[in-house]
Amino acid sequence: MDEWKPNPAVKPHKKRSWYLAWKYKLMNQRALRKLCQTGAVLFLLVTVIVNIKLILDTRRAAYEEEEESAQDYDDEMLNVEVPRHPVNNKKVLDVEVYSSRSKVYVAVDGTTVLEDEAREQGRGIHVIVLNQATGHVMAKRVFDTYSPHEDEAMVLFLNMVARGRILIFTIKDEGSFHLKDTAKNVLKSLGSQVAPFLSWRDMWTFVGKKGGEVYGEKHAKSPALSTWGDPVLLKTEVHLTSVEDAECHWPDTELNRRRKRFCSKVEGYGSVCSCKDPTPIEFNPDPLKDNKVFDVPVAVIAGNRPNYLYRMLRSLLSAQGVNPQMITVFIDGYYEEPMDVVELFGLSGIQHTPISIKNARVSQHYKASLTATFNLFPDAKFAVVLEEDLDISVDFFSFLSQSIHLLEEDESLYCISAWNDQGYEHTAEDPSLLYRVETMPGLGWVLRKSLYKDELEPKWPTPEKLWDWDMWMRMPEQRKGRECIIPDISRSYHFGIVGLNMNGYFHEAYFKKHKFNTVPNVQLKNVESLRKDAYETEIHRLLGEAEVLDHSKDPCEDSFVPDTEGKIYVMFIRMEQEADFTTWTQLAKCLHIWDLDVRGNHKGLWRLFRKKNHFLVVGVPSSPYSSKKPSSVTPIYMEPPAKEEGAAAVPAVAAAEQT
Amino acid sequence: NGAAFSKARGSQSGQDSTRWHVVRKFLGLISSHNIPVYLIDPLILGLVDKDIAQIRSSPDGPSPHCKYFCAPRDFTTFALLDKTWKHEVGLFRTAEKMGFQWLKILNKDPRLDGMDDLSGMEIPLHYIFKLASHAIHLVVFYERSGNYLWHGPLRLKQHMDRKFVPFRKLHFGRYPGAYEKPELLHVSIDDLKVQIPKNPSSFLEEMSHSRFLECRYREARAFFQLYPDDASLDAVEFRKKAKSLLHLAALTLNNLGVKFWLSSGTCLGWYRQCNVIPHSKDVDLGIFIRDYKAEIIPAFQKAGLPLKHKFGKVHRYLELSFQGEDDVKLDIFFFYEEDDHIWNGGTQAKSGKKFKYLFPKFTLCWTEFVELKVHVPCETLQYVEANYGPDWKVPVKTWDWKSSPSNVQDNGVWPVDEWDDVIQIY
Repeated sequence: MDEWKPNPAVKPHKKRSWYLAWKYKLMNQRALRKLCQTGAVLFLLVTVIVNIKLILDTRRAAYEEEEESAQDYDDEMLNVEVPRHPVNNKKVLDVEVYSSRSKVYVAVDGTTVLEDEAREQGRGIHVIVLNQATGHVMAKRVFDTYSPHEDEAMVLFLNMVARGRILIFTIKDEGSFHLKDTAKNVLKSLGSQVAPFLSWRDMWTFVGKKGGEVYGEKHAKSPALSTWGDPVLLKTEVHLTSVEDAECHWPDTELNRRRKRFCSKVEGYGSVCSCKDPTPIEFNPDPLKDNKVFDVPVAVIAGNRPNYLYRMLRSLLSAQGVNPQMITVFIDGYYEEPMDVVELFGLSGIQHTPISIKNARVSQHYKASLTATFNLFPDAKFAVVLEEDLDISVDFFSFLSQSIHLLEEDESLYCISAWNDQGYEHTAEDPSLLYRVETMPGLGWVLRKSLYKDELEPKWPTPEKLWDWDMWMRMPEQRKGRECIIPDISRSYHFGIVGLNMNGYFHEAYFKKHKFNTVPNVQLKNVESLRKDAYETEIHRLLGEAEVLDHSKDPCEDSFVPDTEGKIYVMFIRMEQEADFTTWTQLAKCLHIWDLDVRGNHKGLWRLFRKKNHFLVVGVPSSPYSSKKPSSVTPIYMEPPAKEEGAAAVPAVAAAEQT
Repeated sequence: NGAAFSKARGSQSGQDSTRWHVVRKFLGLISSHNIPVYLIDPLILGLVDKDIAQIRSSPDGPSPHCKYFCAPRDFTTFALLDKTWKHEVGLFRTAEKMGFQWLKILNKDPRLDGMDDLSGMEIPLHYIFKLASHAIHLVVFYERSGNYLWHGPLRLKQHMDRKFVPFRKLHFGRYPGAYEKPELLHVSIDDLKVQIPKNPSSFLEEMSHSRFLECRYREARAFFQLYPDDASLDAVEFRKKAKSLLHLAALTLNNLGVKFWLSSGTCLGWYRQCNVIPHSKDVDLGIFIRDYKAEIIPAFQKAGLPLKHKFGKVHRYLELSFQGEDDVKLDIFFFYEEDDHIWNGGTQAKSGKKFKYLFPKFTLCWTEFVELKVHVPCETLQYVEANYGPDWKVPVKTWDWKSSPSNVQDNGVWPVDEWDDVIQIY
C-alpha cells in the first residue's frame, strides 16, 4: 500500500477558513487560552493511553486468533468495540451550517457530518437529511444547480423525503444560476423565506423539518456579479421526536422488518418507505419454464451509487426467471448505503477495499468480483455480469436461457451480451433476432468460467496498469477472433449518467435513444443459426435475398432506403483492409449510431434496421461477402471531415472511456 | 405409533427416550421447511453400519425396539448443505414455537479469504437446537472450488453462552473439515425417516482424516508485498501448465486410491504464497511407501505422462519422474517412516550418489490449492523448514537439490552393479 502514489491529478488544497481564523482571534484571551492548553494536554494524554491499550488489545487479539488453539472452542477475540454513546437520550441537537464560496460544512452535536472544501468540486446546493428521532444522517446529496436540470433532480429528491425529516441546506460557490421557479417554490414550501429571491453567488443556509417548523435560515447577498456573498454560519437547535413518531407502523413481517431497518437509516427512495402504501420489495415474477440459467450466478458490480443500485435491483428482481439466491452484489468500497439497499432486497453483498485508482480500480474490482463469484459458486460454468446502472429487461433470463447452450458448445464464442451497441430506437426492430459480432459490448453479459479461469484471470491487468477491463477484454490478444452473441433489441438499458466516464452530454448522445425490450417471453428465432458455420449460411441467404440499394444516392438521406417495411436491403461501402473503418465511421455518424469506435461488425458486415427494413452494410473489398457486390456497383466512399482543432479530440477521448 | 413404542421401550430398557423425541421433533421442524439434512452422527452411524445390510433392505420397516436414537447422549449431529436452503428466518421462529432454543455460529466466509480485501457477510457454520436435555448439532457444509464440501470450525464469540451445550464434546467443529460430496440414502431407523451417507463406514473413515487447513492468505499477501508476483507471460503459462499437470496427477492417483501430498517446492508455494512458484519448473508430490502400487507407472503413462526416470528401489530411495507438457516435470518422492523421523531419497544419475532428506514426523491434512482438494502435511511449517531452512520466506532462484536443502544427508553411492536397476532414465 505504501508504494502507491497519491493521484497526481489532485491539487493540494489550501485551507480557506479565514472566517474561522477571524472568529478565533476574538476569543484570544489569556485565561481562556491557558484553560484550553491544559485541557488539550490532558486530552492528549488520555488519548495516548487509550490508543496504546487499544493497540495492545488488538495485537493480542490478532495473535490469539492466529494461534487459535484447536483445543478450545472459545473464540478468544477480545471485544475491542467501545460501547457507543447512546445518542437518543438527548432531546435537542445542536446544528451548525456553514456556507461560503470555497467551503461548506455541517456539524450535528459537534460531529462534522459534511465538510467540503475541495476545489472545483461540490458546487451547488448541499442537502442533508436527518432522522428526526435519532439525529442520524439519512441522506447526503449535492445538486449542482449552477448547471441545467440539477434543480429538477433536487425537487425529485425532496419530494421523496418523508414528512417529519429534518432537512439541512447549504450553498457552496454558486447555487442559483439554474435554480428554476419550481425548485424555488418547493424550498419556499419547506419554509424558506429566502429561497424565492436567491440569486447569483448568494450564500445561504437553511434548517427545517419537512412539513413542519423552521429551525433557522441565514443568507448573504452577493454585492456584485464578480464577487460572492459573505460566508454565513447558522447555529440552531433541533428538537428530536420519539422513535415511535418517526416510524411507520407496517404489519410485522420479515419483509417489513427489512423495510423498517432500511427506512430508518436512509432517505430518498420514495414510496418504498411510504407509511400508507409502501411499494413492494419482493416481486415474485413468473418462473421460466425450463430455465437453463436458474443456477447461473449473477454478479452485480456496484460502486457508491445506491439510488442506481436500487433501481437496478428492482428491475433485476422483476425479471422472469430470476433466482435471488444466485445474486451477489459486489460493492467497490466500504459504503454503507449500497449495502443497505442490498439488504433491503434480502440479497447478499460483498464489499471490496478499494485498491488502485480510477480505471484500474474498476478493473481490479471486476477481477475480485469475478473470482469471488466462481469461488462462491464452484459448480457454475457461467456467470452473468451486470452493472449497477442498468435496467434489466423482463425477458433477460428468458433470452439467456434460450441462447446459453451456444456459449457452452460453440468455442468460437466469447460471450453473450444483452446489449446491442447499434440498437437504437431507429435501428433496432426485431426482439427475436440475434447477431454474431466481433466486438464485446458488455453492459449485461455472460462469461464462461473456463474463459475466465484459464485465460483472463491469470493475466488480468495488474493495478499499476491503468487499463479499462473492457478495453483490455476487447484486445485481440484476449479475444482471439472469438465473437459475442447479441440481440437486435437490447435486453439491458444503460441509464447511468453519473459515473467515472459518463456525463450528461455523453449519455444523451449515445445512450438515451437506445432501444430496450419490454415484451415478455420473446421466443428467439433460429437460435441454431447462430453457430459458427450456420451463421455464414444464414448471412449468404440474407445477402442473396437482399435488394441492392441505389448507390448514386446519399446514404445519409432518409430517401436512400425506400419507404417499405420488412424488406432486406444491402449497401456496399469502401473498406480497403480489415482495419479500414473510414467510411463506416462517417456512415455511423450520419445514421446517429455508435461512432466512437467500431462496434457490431462481423467480417466487414454490419446488420441493422432502417425504416423497419433489415439493412446490411458490406465493406468492399475487405469483407468476404464482397463477392455479393454486383460489378456495376461502386462502393460508397465517405471522406472524414477535415480535422478541425479539437474536433477530433472529443471522440478519441470518449472512445477510450468505459461505457 | 412411534411415540408409544418409544416411551414403552425406552423406559423399560432404561434408555433415554428424550433424545428420540427431540430428534423426531427436529426432523419434523426441518421437513416442514423443506430443508434436506442428513445424519452424520459418528456414534449412530457406527451402530447403523453394523446393520447396514438389513437397514438397506427394509427402508420403511418398523423397528422392534429403539436401538440407535435412544442411547443417552448430549447431542445428535446432522449435516446441511448450504445451497439447499434459503436461510429463511421462519425456521427459527417455528423452532422457538416448538420449544427449541437455538444458537447460530457465524464466521467469515473462507471462500472470500483468498481474495484481495473482499469482505462479505458472515456465513453460518453451525447451528445448535436444544430442547430439554438434548441438543441437535447441525453442521453447515459449503461447496468449494475443487469439487468438495467444507465445514467450518466452531468458535464462540465472547458474548455467547459458553454453557449452552458442552461444546467440547461435539464431534464436529474442533477443526474445519473437508469431505467428498456424499451419496445419500433414505432410511427408516427407530421409526424415524432420515437420510444417511450411503456408505456409513467410508464416511466415518473420511471423518477421521477430514481436518482442513486454510491457506495462509494474509501471509501470502504480505509475501507479495515484499516480493511482487511474476506476472510475465512465461510465469502465467508455467502456472497454467503446472495447474493442469497437478489436476491430472491428482485424478490419476485418486483413481488408484493412492494418497499423496504436496511436497518440496509445490508445498512451499502453497504455504508461502498460496500459488505455484513460477520459477519452480516442476510439480512435486509425496507418497508414503506403504501406499506404493505398481500400477502407478502404467497409470501415468496411460494418462499421457511418460516415465522420465526412476531412481532407487521400492524399499528404499524410490523416486519417479514423469514428463508433463512442455518440459514441466512431475516428481514423485516416496517417503519412508522410521521411529522418530520420515525420510525420502535422492539419487544423482551421473555419479550414482545417494542422498537422504530427513523430516520430522507429520500427519496429513486437506487443503485447497489451484481449485483442487489435496493433502499437505498438517505440520507444514516444520516440514517446510526442514526442507528449506529458516529462510524459506525468501525466494531463491538457484536451487541445487543435492546441496541446498537443509535436511540433505550424503548417503554414499549405489554399488555400480545395481546402477541399471536404481538409475533408469528414459
